[in-house]
Parts: sequence; structure tokens; C-alpha cells
Amino acid sequence: MSTDSTGSDDGPVTEEITITVNGTDVTAAVEPRLKLSDFLRYECDQHGVRVGCEHGVCGACTVQQDGRTVKSCLSYAVQADGAEIETVEGLAAEDGSLHPIQEAFHETHALQCGFCTSGFVMAAKELLEENPDPSREEIETGLADNICRCTGYQNIYEAVERAAERMEE
Amino acid sequence: MSRSQPTETDADVTAETERESFTGQGLPRVEDHRILTGRAEYIHDITPENCLHMALVRSMHAHADVVEIDTSEAEAHPECELVLTGEDLRAEYNPMPTGIETVTTDDGTEGTIEEWSLAADTVRFVGEPVAAVIATNRYVAEDIADLVDVTYDPKDAVADGLAAREDEVVVHESVGTNVVDHERLEFGDPEAAFEEADHVVEGEFSWGRISGVPLETAGVVAQYDDDTDSFDIDCNIQLHTLVDDTIYETLGYDADDVRVNVPADVGGSYGTKIAIHRYCCLAAMASKALDRPVKFEEDRIENLQGGDMHCSDREYRMRLAVDDDGTMCGLDVWFVDDFGAFPRYPINQVLKPLSVLTNSYVIEDAVYEYDLVLTNKTSQTAYRGFGVDPHIYALEMIVDQAARELGMDPTEFRRQNLIEPDQQPYTLPSKNLYDSGDYPATLDRIEEIIEDERDGGLLDPEVVAAKREEGKYRGVQPSVIIEPGVSGSDWTDRQRSDREALADRPRDDVDELPEHLRAQLREDGTVRAYLATDSSGQGHQTLVSQLLADELELLPSDIEVDYLDSVDAPTEYGSAASRMAVMLSGATVGVAEALIEALEAVAADHWEVSTDEVAYRDGQVERADGSDTLSLTELAAIDAEGEKRRTHVSYNYDHPATDFEEFDDAFSQKLPVYPTAAFGANAPIVEVDVNTGEVDILKFYTVRDCGTMLNPMIVEGQAHGGIAQGVGAALLEEFGYEENGQPQAITLFDYLLPSIENVPEIEMEHTVTPSPFTVTGAKGVGEGGMIDAPASIATSINAALEPLEVDAPADQIPVSPAHLRSKLREERQ
Repeated sequence: MSTDSTGSDDGPVTEEITITVNGTDVTAAVEPRLKLSDFLRYECDQHGVRVGCEHGVCGACTVQQDGRTVKSCLSYAVQADGAEIETVEGLAAEDGSLHPIQEAFHETHALQCGFCTSGFVMAAKELLEENPDPSREEIETGLADNICRCTGYQNIYEAVERAAERMEE
Repeated sequence: MSRSQPTETDADVTAETERESFTGQGLPRVEDHRILTGRAEYIHDITPENCLHMALVRSMHAHADVVEIDTSEAEAHPECELVLTGEDLRAEYNPMPTGIETVTTDDGTEGTIEEWSLAADTVRFVGEPVAAVIATNRYVAEDIADLVDVTYDPKDAVADGLAAREDEVVVHESVGTNVVDHERLEFGDPEAAFEEADHVVEGEFSWGRISGVPLETAGVVAQYDDDTDSFDIDCNIQLHTLVDDTIYETLGYDADDVRVNVPADVGGSYGTKIAIHRYCCLAAMASKALDRPVKFEEDRIENLQGGDMHCSDREYRMRLAVDDDGTMCGLDVWFVDDFGAFPRYPINQVLKPLSVLTNSYVIEDAVYEYDLVLTNKTSQTAYRGFGVDPHIYALEMIVDQAARELGMDPTEFRRQNLIEPDQQPYTLPSKNLYDSGDYPATLDRIEEIIEDERDGGLLDPEVVAAKREEGKYRGVQPSVIIEPGVSGSDWTDRQRSDREALADRPRDDVDELPEHLRAQLREDGTVRAYLATDSSGQGHQTLVSQLLADELELLPSDIEVDYLDSVDAPTEYGSAASRMAVMLSGATVGVAEALIEALEAVAADHWEVSTDEVAYRDGQVERADGSDTLSLTELAAIDAEGEKRRTHVSYNYDHPATDFEEFDDAFSQKLPVYPTAAFGANAPIVEVDVNTGEVDILKFYTVRDCGTMLNPMIVEGQAHGGIAQGVGAALLEEFGYEENGQPQAITLFDYLLPSIENVPEIEMEHTVTPSPFTVTGAKGVGEGGMIDAPASIATSINAALEPLEVDAPADQIPVSPAHLRSKLREERQ
């Protein structure tokens, strides 16, 4: 992770990027090594992006980049220059009412400690956008990149199914 | 620096319509809204202004002398604020408290074990921190950590618990042995039982190193205050009011000068986060040196490799004495528990299995013997079940084996030996009591469920036979398993006690830990309650608001629930041992009574009548003659005029075993006291591919009883999560080590957590047998699933492979494909 920043009088090398985060353009000068997850958490205050493993297994940091989910701990902020990012903070309506996926997770008790939840919600969002009526097998495939340590997944299936019904209405 | 988030009215409480009983309803949680919208503040989210960041330099050797630590290059880095080494700590601070400080060897010599937050002379496991670097941000701190040059002189290491007993390599030369604790407990007359029984069945079983692996790693933000010479520490430690001594004693400060605060949201703990005090101490020391806040976020590799978070690692030799007619006569449990490099506080988990020594069976004569050994591996901490899970697993394995040797059906063998309902409350040979339950009926019910699968379902004989042709063997073996709940604490000092003196110890000397709850009437007529305990997803805020609403005849949205930090809260036991539902519900009833009494007194004084002439009802106080009422808002205003707030009350709910003299023997002998016994029967239907050794759980049936279900949704959620962790433990998870002590699982690519693809569909039924020992009839339920699923999955694997006549195929946890393949090949040769 080390760069040639050490000992340089000019400080670390940075690059100016602009990323649209939940509809707002954010321009910042960042080191090329800054992870997208850290950019979102610390430069954009989107704390709903959780960092659980930093090597792409747990999926807690899942966000949507140009409509597709990415694990934001596996890419660098500079790679998202010009992209549109959506995080869990962007889901609820302006009047504060929850997105159907958020609502369904709440009603079915599909979260306990909640650390993995933003990642699951974002993965479920992509799944339902592509497939509004997924089978259990399709939910399994769609959420296989995320790990939950508390709920045991059963209620997560139910949440996704309930959200699918709501979103179709 | 309190940052906890109280429940708020914007957290919707959808189930409330009108006043009704909320207890027993699956009320959705008040915690969810902030989490789902990304507004929850976990420890990683807390970064005060002016905050510096810490990175640690860790040993890559399992055992080595530290020859030199050269920090000059690191300190020359322009963004380096501080480098701390073990030498720096020794000048100013104390070692961290350990579970066993003094070890007396057979020849009578005494040696001490010291663990420092940073190693100085010797490193004893891969990942042990040797230096701490503080810099402007985490990236730079890690850069600078790379510049710290440590010269090691590697030594031989020992990484196997059984081998470590030979003392060829000694982890702590100061004590001269790796066996730092040993005990042999005998109950009844086991010698006679084994001599007189028709058969003695023997087996060896091993339980690999696993852990909770919460998705949120450890984190801490420490801030030293120069004016008051005190510390504020935000961290995600578990049991923050109990284990805060590991922090303040290391720092050498009084408890009141070290304020430990845990955020309202913690990303999982499962017991494992009680041991993160090293990070708290180091961040605090750095903060004091720099007079700025210092933050540390553990990364996943640190967490898995050397994060002080591993759990039980045991080798068992079990013996069961049985008669020809299938009566279990005697049990002999012997095991070695590999504790890693230092004996931490969770040494107690070698003893907790005594609370369920014979599981659900009547066995009156038993031996329980263990060696607690040290090796060059990461130190152990607690994990959901606290050492009971390996015990239940090994016991169920020997029961299976005995049935097979007797030629009996394993289910019938189990049924014949179950504790009957008319024997409840049942006193175990190890002095603990089970409170209530009908175990035979539970086994009957799970048998009925399986019968349905045998008739055209997953276990239909034709389907099973056809699958066998493909090399896929299906099977199931149910058993009834107990979850001990609601620990008293006194037994946890057994290892540090003069054991001979325990025989005559008076009951009055026993300390038990109550649970503390506060309630305050606020100006707007709402009530705010304060928990003395931390939470990591169990829904404590929901539970208290739901129960308090019932007691006060209010709505849950009239109640806010917040947390106390370690200074404000009394030293109570907190979130552990499946205590919280029982202890918080008991405390809620008590604190509500205290508040009602206070409200009546305030009203009576206001009206200048006696308290007999007023009554609290439906959120207000009424005069008995019906002439007047005072609302909670009015009462708050009246109370605010007085010198002392009478409507600020607190209550300590005593440990439920306190009032029952049946527990006196266990208490006075410092044996584990767990006054609730949730129970259940599991029947996971498994399919073993005999070519690959892979195990697929087709469906997990379970019938469970935890007494009164205060919030069924939370109860089921706990069970789902526990079973998922049990599936991981049984089939996937293990911290393997090379012989030289190099850890083999340091990423989530190596340490395999169950994903949605691994956890089967769970079909759960509940029965309700209230506990006669607790105020609400609830039993502890927080560790279920993890305690029972590994044993049940293992017995089902044995049942599936029975036609192949393999000797105990599931004799180790995890039952990995490689292990099963080698067992199957051995048998074929």
C-alpha cells in the first residue's frame, strides 16, 4: 500500500476526482491508493458503507456504481472518477419513508447487529432491479457474495421476497 | 464523550395500535431504523476532530526472542507522531491482567505469567504486537509501521495442545510448564459405576479452534484529559462494566478515571469482543503521550491472525459406562484445552460444561478432568456457548458410539436415559439445577417430524436408496440438548481459589451479580430507561421498551432506552451467558414498580393525602375518590420543583438462583450456576457425498423451548443465527496452524464463514415451559444453535454413514470434506 509519498516535501501525490454520491457531486483531491470505501466513509460521510474484511469476501461495503453492485473495498476512489455511486443512505425517500427493501428487512427481522445490512440491502436492490420476482435459488445466487453472521439468512430470504411483492405493487 | 443512541420516536413502532400487552409479541425492533438508513454509529464511525490513527507492528514468528527494535527510520518519517515499544510501556504502565498469574508446579516452585500490551523480550504467537505507530491517518500509520525494524532470534514453537503437555518447548520459561491449570472433579462414585457396568465405551474426539468472527472488527477511540488526568475510551468491547478492569488496571488508574463507553450499535460480538482491551490500553497510552485522541481500527487479517479472538481448541477422551439394558451408569470426561500463548479471563469456559455435565440424561456418577495448556498460538477468548458446545458434541458422540456398540437404536438409547418431567427441577451431579421441561415429549415431537420425511419426503426409503447409488448418503440422528442460561459469576473465580477451602465455604461468602436498570420520568411525560449493559444486535432496547410499556401501561414509543458507560453503571455482569432477556425482564418489572411507587408518592404529597388514597393507572395517577388525576407530564413538573428527583429510580434484579437454596452447594463450591435450562431437539437431515466428503444439510428441523417468549421474533432470530454459526462450526470454520505455529487461516478466503449457500432451510417449532426460577418465566436463549447444532450435525453424519460401518466418521469438528474422505478411505483399505 506504500507510495512514494514518504519523505517528499510536496506531500503525497494526489489526483482530483469527481464522483456523484447519492445524487450529489463530490470533488476531491485523493491519493490513488485511497479505497473507494474509505472515500465514501470519510470524504463523503456515507457511514452506511461498512468495512468488514477489506478483501472482498464479506460484502458489507457493497454499493452501486453506475447501477451495478461493487465491493467498494476492492476498488480505489480514482477508479470511480466520473461514476455515479449509490449507497444505503440514498435509498429512503426525501420525506424519510423507507425504501421497500429497507421496510421488508425491518418487518421480517432480517438484521440483528446490522453491520452487514447495508451491503445486503444494496445487493438485494440490484437483484430485484434485474429480476423482480426471484426464486429462492435466484435469491441465493444474488446474495452469495455477502456474509451475515447474526441472522442465519432465513429472514433475509423473506425480506427479499416481501420487498419483491411491494415493489411490484 | 457519550455517543450512544437512544431509541427515538422516529424509529417506527408499527405494531402498536392501542394499549395491549406487548410482552410476547414479535414487535419489530426500534434499533432497525437507524441501521437501515445508514445512520447508526458503530465504533468505526467515530472519528473526533484532531484524531490520530494507530497501526501495530506484529510478530511474524510464533516464538522468538526480540533482539532489537530499531524505530529510528519510522520516527524520522515526517508524519510520524509516536512509536511505542514494549520498553516504553514497562516504564509507565502495568501488564494486562491474566486469568492465571501464578502457577505452582509439581515440585512446589511458583512462577508468574505476565502479558504486556506490547511484547518486549519474547514474542509468543504470530501476530503478537511489538510496537505501536501513531500517525495522521491509517494509511500513513501502516506505511510507518513497515519502517519499524525488529530483529528476532526465532525459537522452537509448540502449536499442538497434546504435544505441549510434554513441555519440550515451554511457552513461558518463567513457569517452566505449559500445563497451567489442571483439575479432576468427581461426582457420586464414578469408580464403582465404571467397575460395575456391563460395558465401558471409549472414544476420542477433537474440536478445532473456531471463533465468532464478528463482521465488525475491534475498534477504539481513546482520549486522555490532561486537566483531570483521566481517560475517555469509546470502544466495542463486550461486558464493558465488568472487564473494564483489564483496561484501568493496565493503565494503573482508578476505575472512575477510565470512562469506557460502548456505542449503541456494535457489529456483532458473540462473546469474542471481551478481549479487545489490549487495543484500548495502547490507544489510551498513545493518547496520553500525545494529548490528542487516538483511534485504532483492527483489520480483518489482524483480527483472524492475532486479534486475541480465538475460542476453544480441545482434545477429548470420553468414557461412558453402560449396562446391557441400555442404562447409562457413569461418565468420564477428560480433555486438553489449548489456550494459546496466555491464559485469559475465559479460562472459565473449561468449567461451564459442568452446568450441563450430563446433557439431558440421568447419569449420577461422573468424572470431569482437564488440562489447560499454553501453546504458541493466539490466546483464547469467549465465544457463544462458552465451552459448552465442544462438551455437548463430544458427549453426543460417545452416546452414539455406545448405542452402536450395544446394538441399540441410538434414539431409543437416548430416550431411555432422558430426564423425565417429574424429575424437574433436576439436580445434576455437578450441583447445577435444570428448571423445567418435558424432554421425552420433545424427542417424540422431533421423531414425528422426521417420520413425515420418511413417508415420501427427504428420507423416503426409495429416495435414500437411489441417492446411495449416486454415492450420496442421507441420514438424521436427533437428540435433546440443553442450553444453560443466566450465569452467576462467583464460580468464575474457581481457578484462582484455594480449591480445598471450597468444601467448607459458607453460602454468605458468595457474590452474585444482579442486573441494573434505571428509569426516569422526563419533562414531556415520556420515560427514559438506562441499560447498564452493552448490546450487539440482541435488541435490548426493544425488549426493555416493550416490557416497560406493559408495566407502566404506556406505549413502547413513550419509552426511550439509552446506555450507561462504565463509570455511571455499577459493575454488573452485562451481556453474557444468555442473561439479558431474563435479567432485563426481571429488572424491568422491578424498576417499573419503583417508578410507580415514586409517582404515587409525588401525587399523594401534592394532594396532601396518604399514598393509600392514590393509584397509578393507565399512564396517570388518580385519587381514589375520583376527584382528580395527574398526568405524567404534570407529575414531572411537580417533581422538578423538589430538591431531589423522586421520579429518577433504579433497580437491581438479583440473580434468579439467589432465592433457591437448592443452588447453595453449587454456589458455595464455586461450581457453575446456570438457573435456566432452555432445551430443544434438533434433526438436521444431512447428505454426505462419499466421493468428495462434502456434507450438505438438506433441512434443519428443530423444536425449541426457552420458557416464556418475551419477543418471539427476537427469540427466533437468535436461534437462526446460532444455528448458522453452528453450521459453520460443524462443517467449515477452523483456525488451523502449521507445526511451527504459523496460522493457516488469516483471511476470509481461508477461514470459511457460512454464506447463504451453506445455511439450510430451518423449520422451527416452539414449546413454552416457563421457568419457575425467573420473574417472567423466560429462559436464556442467546447461545442456542451454536451450542447444539454442531453436535446434531455430527450425529446425523454418523447416522448417514452408518451403512458403511465407518468408525465414528464425525470424530472431529469441523467435519471437513478432507477428514471424511480420509476416514472413508481408511475403512475401505
